[in-house]
Amino acid sequence: MNLRFAYATACGLVLAGLVHIATVLAIPRLSESDALSRAGSSESLDHPLPIYTLATGENPAPAEAWLPAPDPSVAVGVCAYDLDDGPTRVSARTGPLALSLAVHGRRGAFYAVTDQAAVRGALDLVVLTRAQYDAALANDDENEPSRDVRIVAPERQGFVVVRVIAGLPSQRPSANAAVQAVSCTIDSTDEDAPARPND
Amino acid sequence: MTLRMAEAEAEGTARVPALRILRSALRSAWRRSAGLGLALYALALGGALGLASADWATRGGYPFGGVTVGAWTLWPRAGSTAADPYTRAVNARRGEIPLAVGEGLLMTAAADDAGRTLDAACTYSITGATPPARAWTLTVTGRGAADPVRPPIRESFTSTEVLRERDGRFAITLGPEAEPGNWLPSPRAEGPLRLALRLYDTPVAASAGSLDRDSVPAITRVACRS
Repeated sequence: MNLRFAYATACGLVLAGLVHIATVLAIPRLSESDALSRAGSSESLDHPLPIYTLATGENPAPAEAWLPAPDPSVAVGVCAYDLDDGPTRVSARTGPLALSLAVHGRRGAFYAVTDQAAVRGALDLVVLTRAQYDAALANDDENEPSRDVRIVAPERQGFVVVRVIAGLPSQRPSANAAVQAVSCTIDSTDEDAPARPND
Repeated sequence: MTLRMAEAEAEGTARVPALRILRSALRSAWRRSAGLGLALYALALGGALGLASADWATRGGYPFGGVTVGAWTLWPRAGSTAADPYTRAVNARRGEIPLAVGEGLLMTAAADDAGRTLDAACTYSITGATPPARAWTLTVTGRGAADPVRPPIRESFTSTEVLRERDGRFAITLGPEAEPGNWLPSPRAEGPLRLALRLYDTPVAASAGSLDRDSVPAITRVACRS
C-alpha cells in the first residue's frame, strides 16, 4: 500500500512538472493583459496610442498607463499592426529629443532603431512579411533607391513602440508631442491593388 | 439417502465457490477503487503543484536571465526574441514592454553593495559613473501603492539633470531627509526599495558580461533612522 502511494506521488510530481512547463509556455499565448493584446486597439489609428504620457505641470501621469514600472522621463506610444492589411510604415522626424523605435512580435522585440540612424532628419521604418518584402524589392525603381528601413516580421501581428526621452522636466510636453508626431500608416506597395483607405 | 447426501454435498461445494467468487470480486473492486483514488490523488497533486509553481515562478520579477555586476542586475535579453519562456510569461502577465537590445538596457538593484536590502528608512549614497550610454535615468520605486501623504517630489534623475563632479562622476543621495546636491527622496516611509537604472542607446547590452564593478554606480549605506 505504501509503495503504491509513493508510486502515485511520484506520478503526481512528474505530472506537476509537465503542467508547470505547459502553463509557463501557454501564459503569453493566453494572456489578455499582455502588451500585444492591449495595443490591439491602436490598429486603426494613424498615430501611436499614448500609453505613458509624461506628467507636465499640474497634469499628473494618466492612470490608464498599464506599464507596471514606467520610466517617469520617457514618453511611450504604441502602434499595433496587422500585416494582413498591408505593410506598416512608421515615419518619424528627428527632433532635439532622443527617440527610438522598437518592433515587437509575440515572442519579443526583433528590431530596434534610434534616431541616430535617421537620414536627413527622417526615419522611415516599413514592417512587412517576406512576400511583401519581395514585392517591394521587385517594385523598386533602380534610379531612385528607397531610403526606407525594411524589416521582415516573423509574425503577422505585433506592435511598434515609440519612446522619446525628456532629459529635463521642461522637455516633457515636447516629448509627449514627439510621440504623437510619429505616423503609423498602412503602405500599399502593389500599384495595381486599390489603395487602402488610411482612415 | 445416499443420493440426497451426494446432492447436498454438490450443492455445498457449489455454494462455497460462489461465495469465494463474490468475495474476490468485492476485494478486487475495493482494490480498483483504491487504485482510482490513488490516480485521482496523483492527478490532483500534479495539477495543483504544477499550476501553483507556474504562478509562483512568473509572479513579480524575472526569475533568471540577469547578469549581476556589483549590486546591480542587468537584464540584457528581457526584451529580445531570445528571452527565456519565464521572462516572456512575466512580461505577458504584467503587460510590460521591455527595452529591446538596440534600444536600451535595464539594470535593477534591490540591495546595497554589502548585500543588505534597500530600506526606505535608511540613507544611501549612489556614486560613480554609468556604463556608456546616450542617456540614462535612475528611478526609485517602493512596494505597493503610492503613499497619499507623501507627494512625489522626485522619483528619478536623468543623465541631463543630475549634478556632476568635475570628472563627470556623480553622487546621488537616496534617503528620507532632504540633502544638498542630488537628493532622491524615499518614496515610502518604510519598507523595501528598488532602484532601476535604464541606459538608453547603449552598446552594453551586447557585452553585459564583461562589465566590472567600477563601471556601475556603487550603492553604500550611510545611516539608518532607528
